[in-house]
Amino acid sequence: MAAERWILCALEDIPNPGARGFDPLNEGKNSVFVVRQQGEVFAYRDRCPHLDGMTLPWKKDNYLNAAGQAIQCAAHGAQFNIETGLCTSGPCLGQYLSKLTVGVSSRGQISISKAELAGGE
Amino acid sequence: MNIIGPDTLVFGVEDTSACEQFLLDYGLSAVGGGRFEAMDGTGVQVCSADDQSLPAALPTGSMLRKTIYGVADQATLDALKVELGRDREVTVLDDGSLQVADDLGFVLGFQVTIRKTISASMEKINAPGTSVQRSINEIGVVNGAQPKPRSLSHAVYFVPDAEKAEAFFRDRLGFVTTDRFTKVGPFMRPAGSTDHHTVFFIQTPPHMQGCEHFTFHMGGPTEVMQAGSNLESKGYESFWGPGRHIFGSNWFWYFKSPFGCNMEYDADMDLHDDTWQAREAMPGADNSQAFLLQYREKWAPMGPPPKP
Repeated sequence: MAAERWILCALEDIPNPGARGFDPLNEGKNSVFVVRQQGEVFAYRDRCPHLDGMTLPWKKDNYLNAAGQAIQCAAHGAQFNIETGLCTSGPCLGQYLSKLTVGVSSRGQISISKAELAGGE
Repeated sequence: MNIIGPDTLVFGVEDTSACEQFLLDYGLSAVGGGRFEAMDGTGVQVCSADDQSLPAALPTGSMLRKTIYGVADQATLDALKVELGRDREVTVLDDGSLQVADDLGFVLGFQVTIRKTISASMEKINAPGTSVQRSINEIGVVNGAQPKPRSLSHAVYFVPDAEKAEAFFRDRLGFVTTDRFTKVGPFMRPAGSTDHHTVFFIQTPPHMQGCEHFTFHMGGPTEVMQAGSNLESKGYESFWGPGRHIFGSNWFWYFKSPFGCNMEYDADMDLHDDTWQAREAMPGADNSQAFLLQYREKWAPMGPPPKP
């Protein structure tokens, strides 16, 4: 079954709270990012709903605002709820980031489904 | 109104250290007090979002708090004070500059310009059919160069009413529309500048009002490419570019930034005077860029050098 999932990294490799981006498809830019917040882990496609194909951070792995309390897109300052992906301010107000089901194995490996990532946004 | 162009953009930000490092990596020079300058003294002022001396933030949360324009002389400043004072409060700050809100709620400052006259060689090229520009034996490319931004070029604003913004800048500040994207907004230059635009307004829903990007002039396309490549190599992420615009002809490369807007490098923008007839085009990929390139890490067709 492991072949059906992209293993992204170990849970410990993500700061808590913090975030990290991944390029499992070797596209040259990240397609997924994972946010770790206290005991929870959330994964989203690294694409802003405001602009087709646009990744969120201004610098690698900088997905959260300064307070670490919201996901942000650096292009135009959009802010998103970490738990739900809902845009609470910015160009895409009311729209959602595309959420991915994230798995954490008993050995602490974070993974996402290859089929889900390959599916439409 | 002999307005020259933007002297300083003032931001109120949550993460001052990230913003300051970004400006340094962009190529501006720290001069103290959160101020970062290009070669001619124009620049960016970074303040903490809770700095009580700043004008209030827009309801949208845009981090741009104020755009300070440089004007030619005290007479222009005095004329602006009279003109704008006809229908709004004009505050004279301790440094003698004026502070007002425009018709859309953006806070503007006006001061006798701080721009210094600079002398720096531009990128020179040679081509068959013309006389030599870059001298014999003068090298065109310095590998690993870290070019410096020269001058604050322009700022672009998301506005809920582009016609109202254009009218204010035209009728009250003396700006001229040089070109226009249909149903988007105008590119404008002030009377004291020949640059194609020092401001561009983009019509958006009200919840987007704020700064879309701001830009400094570089010494030529190679400097845009090298400065942008330097940012890429430090892990910063491109937003759009490199490429070359059609309106304005400026080379461009935009990067996302911790200022909640994009920050661009530009070079070799068209210059215009009052004889220029403004053009209009539909917005979109075909009309906004002559070409678009894409960065990739350095690569060579023959691979690494052979092992000794």
